[in-house]
Amino acid sequence: MGSEVRNKKCCQVVLKKTAVHHFSMEIDSGECVALAGPNGAGKSTLIKLIADMMNPDIGEVLLNGKKISKMKKEIGYLPQYPNFFPWMTAKETLTFMGQLSGIRKDKLVGAIPEVVSKVGLSGEENSKVGTFSGGMKQRLGIAQALLHKPSLILMDEPVSSLDPIGRREVLNIINEIKEETTVLLSTHILSDAEEVCERFVIIKNGEKMEDTTMMELLRKNNKNKLHFKITENGKCWERKIEKLDYVKGVELSGNSVKVEVNDVGLNKNMLLEHALENNVNLVKFEIDNESLEEIFLKLVVEK
Amino acid sequence: MNQFTVLARKELVQMVREMKVVWLPIVFILLGITQPIMNYYLPSILEMLGGGQGISIDLSLVTQTGGEVLASTLGSQFDQLGVIIIIVSMMGIVQSDKANGMLAFILTRPVRVSSYIGGKIFSHYLFIACSVTFGYIASYLYTYILFTEVPLTDLIVAFLFYLLWVLFIVSFTTMMSTIFNSQGIIALISIVFLLGCRVIVGLNPILDHINPASMSTYAMEILISGTWSVNVIWNIMITLILSALAINVSNIWITGKKYRVN
Repeated sequence: MGSEVRNKKCCQVVLKKTAVHHFSMEIDSGECVALAGPNGAGKSTLIKLIADMMNPDIGEVLLNGKKISKMKKEIGYLPQYPNFFPWMTAKETLTFMGQLSGIRKDKLVGAIPEVVSKVGLSGEENSKVGTFSGGMKQRLGIAQALLHKPSLILMDEPVSSLDPIGRREVLNIINEIKEETTVLLSTHILSDAEEVCERFVIIKNGEKMEDTTMMELLRKNNKNKLHFKITENGKCWERKIEKLDYVKGVELSGNSVKVEVNDVGLNKNMLLEHALENNVNLVKFEIDNESLEEIFLKLVVEK
Repeated sequence: MNQFTVLARKELVQMVREMKVVWLPIVFILLGITQPIMNYYLPSILEMLGGGQGISIDLSLVTQTGGEVLASTLGSQFDQLGVIIIIVSMMGIVQSDKANGMLAFILTRPVRVSSYIGGKIFSHYLFIACSVTFGYIASYLYTYILFTEVPLTDLIVAFLFYLLWVLFIVSFTTMMSTIFNSQGIIALISIVFLLGCRVIVGLNPILDHINPASMSTYAMEILISGTWSVNVIWNIMITLILSALAINVSNIWITGKKYRVN
């Protein structure tokens, strides 16, 4: 298993567990990596292994070449459902967490207002955590992960449980913090990951399916498809184009026709002309790029 | 400030916020004054009830010394209801942290498991010992007013012995709370085991030597007769060792990450 060590810039993970098999990946410092996969793929398990909350059966997690259990000061961890002591105020929670990380109290006095304003919780420092909404708890979770200025931040589903507004806010915060540190986040919603991360690691059943960038993923899955939307009267047209030699396949669903051709650049005008000749009432015409979501589905469902 | 103090202080603050710091001492004070009051009024109650039916009460048989009354406070109040209350009040000591994920969360920080367990045991033992002390003092005050006084050294030595038994109760319950995930199971096993320990004292001399509950009977012995056997050193050692063992099991259990986060 995993001797895929190429360079040891920041982190390197070589793991095996029942929920995660033969998983090996490296993260360079400064990267923002999304761990994507369906529910139960082993994302959380992997994050917990990296955060040293579980021990891998085989393999090890290294940060800057050292065992993760010796590098806990360098990790900021945001759990899937951040749960704090409801009887503590936000400020007390951050003081408690900061002191556990070994930060001196006089330093915390300056550091806490800084992170609190960064995550947008200013004015709520002295409210009890028990009164916080899910989004506020998530932000407090991010604040405690940032407090000790770790070199690696692990986020387990940071936006999955939030409403669109909270999701927007948290994504903006992540966008800000990824400038300063290395971020590894897990998600099952690729469009969220797309906004903040350059690199995607797609896992399913604990195995790595794909480790790629967004551009590459889109390029690889570009299928030379044209998408027509037509009205009822052109319904027999799709039988005609099936016989054309540059058409590889036709998919019809309702009023939309998806045509797979040999070469989009060459064939799209030919196909358009053909449609006009046949008096097809076109409503919409586009070059069909599969969305990340579709590619993701295909990757995790079909393989 | 190191992690141990941070965690221990957090526990103490939590007890204050959750009002535990109010109700547990009150419960022990009530338990403490029950025995002297009951013993004092029992003869007159019996006389009142039994008088009409021709039962005579020999008052010389019922008259007790202060030491005897205080001993029965330990033996029949603190060792029964008291132990159950201690267990119930701290059965979630580690379990609740496991259930809401705080334990795993705390351990993603550079915190040694021994600091975590140490902070828990220290703060809870300190608090429970204080509560029991309040109950003991209250019991003594009533005993002193209603019966006779007890020599101060006997009073203190007996109570120090008793606190060792409390230490074992705290350590054992913490161990159960670490190992099991259901509060019911934790409470059940702890209550059955610890009350069981207390009940079997006196059945077998060899068993008594390794039984931490013997500390409670030594304490009673001092209060009643003012003397104690040399065997007590042996029992002090055993109780300390067993408590350390229970704490160590909790430590190893968490370090090995055998706990399951629900």
